[in-house]
Amino acid sequence: MKPALIAVALSLAVVASSAFAAPCPTRASWPTTDWPATGTTNRSTQVKALEDYAFRTIGTDAERNGIRTDSVIIIKGGNIVYERYARGWAASNRHISWSVAKSISSTLIGVALQKGALKLEDSICKYLTRYEGKGVCDITVKDTITFGMGLQWQEEYENSGYQGSSVISMLLGVGHVDQADFVLTQRQSYKPGSQFIYSTGYATVTAAVAKAALAPAFGKDAFWSLLFDKIGMSRTVFEEDVKGTPLGGSYVYATPRAYAKLGYLYLNDGCWAGERLLPEGWVTAATTINDAFKANRGSCPYAAVEGTYVLPCEDTPSGYMWWLNKSPASGVAKPYPDMPDDGYTAIGHWGQYVAVVPSEDLVVVRTGDDRNDCPAGAAADQTVNGVPCNFDIGKLVGLAIQVAK
Amino acid sequence: MKMLIRSVMVAVVFSSCAVDDPKFKTFANNDLQLAVGNAAKMECTCKFVMEMDDAFCTAWVKASPDVARFSYDAKAKTVEASAFVSWVAHAHWVDDKRGCVLE
Repeated sequence: MKPALIAVALSLAVVASSAFAAPCPTRASWPTTDWPATGTTNRSTQVKALEDYAFRTIGTDAERNGIRTDSVIIIKGGNIVYERYARGWAASNRHISWSVAKSISSTLIGVALQKGALKLEDSICKYLTRYEGKGVCDITVKDTITFGMGLQWQEEYENSGYQGSSVISMLLGVGHVDQADFVLTQRQSYKPGSQFIYSTGYATVTAAVAKAALAPAFGKDAFWSLLFDKIGMSRTVFEEDVKGTPLGGSYVYATPRAYAKLGYLYLNDGCWAGERLLPEGWVTAATTINDAFKANRGSCPYAAVEGTYVLPCEDTPSGYMWWLNKSPASGVAKPYPDMPDDGYTAIGHWGQYVAVVPSEDLVVVRTGDDRNDCPAGAAADQTVNGVPCNFDIGKLVGLAIQVAK
Repeated sequence: MKMLIRSVMVAVVFSSCAVDDPKFKTFANNDLQLAVGNAAKMECTCKFVMEMDDAFCTAWVKASPDVARFSYDAKAKTVEASAFVSWVAHAHWVDDKRGCVLE
């Protein structure tokens, strides 16, 4: 076929596909510069209930007991209806994301997909070319965002033994200089795509792939020009290791209002001010239980095999590094009883949350510094010495719905 | 003498942190190196990325065991953390997009 005919055919195809593409949602305004605020009227009882839960403190600050909320923002219908900061924090301060970064990293894969810079079924070696022939090229881009890479990983934190923590070893220990390499040289414990392993390291690879896919065409600051600047998250900091790998599992920093914009992007099907930043269908896929997660639940509980790390049975289903309020398995309750079924969250260590509830046109952000001596994987209602182990984002969303009515 | 003290401390640190569970992979981290690495990175981030004040950052960075001490250069945007003289880590500010990096 002659080039002119190919061009005509491509043009027709684009026109045809756009004719059937889902339109972007329309809004009266978009909070790219800042959020409009409406406040709450006649909701003092509901506000008090929310604050009694979210801003209650136990003991002195130095004791690090109980719930220690740094901020809460409620967005309803595109407006801030409630906002409060505590413990020295203000609207201008960027707050550590911890694992909310994972949801941001998967979003950047979506951005790269929308730009035609990668495909989910591509091998990661297409982008991380130094690993060609190194035994990890069966891992796809999709495996990284579904926690399905299958590489050995022990996601243990400060309350567990430091010598057995893959994540501490990566961030601070023997792997910190070249963190993608630390992840990609772990043992292939499972066939890629066949098992869900929650891993900060996998999200590091996710961000590394996104950067490698986008940088050649869009520059080293593509995360900002293609996502953060577009939605008014320009002051976002995305830290890297010494080798320049973006640390997409934990080290992103943004203001609470900026985190709310990430939620608002998802609430609006990946569109912002009429522009589609995430592919059509992305948000649906990102908030649908992925196959690797189903495999995890399908083989619970695990039998201990000599030399094999026993994976935890995950109770909060995951899509593309977003956490869903759906039953993880037949006969098992959904994780957040007080949150509508369609709600989903980005979740970070020490109580960072971005919750999105489409049925309520609602985004709730909570930042915190909850550091109790709780065992890893503590249940939502578990206490130690009478102090709650975990902040319940579902409860906060339930209270926020009442405030925002 | 300094070498002897260091050797004894290394032995104590490793013996206290030995993981015998065969289901776990263990990593050759030194707890004190982790402590100073954490202090350097977290202080750099707290001060220069989150832009919180000294009192907040001192409390925020504190980890268990609380053995690391740190100092920062506000002009150069660098942090040095140390523990028991021999263990040292550095972090520095890169730019307003990439924040801090642990060296």
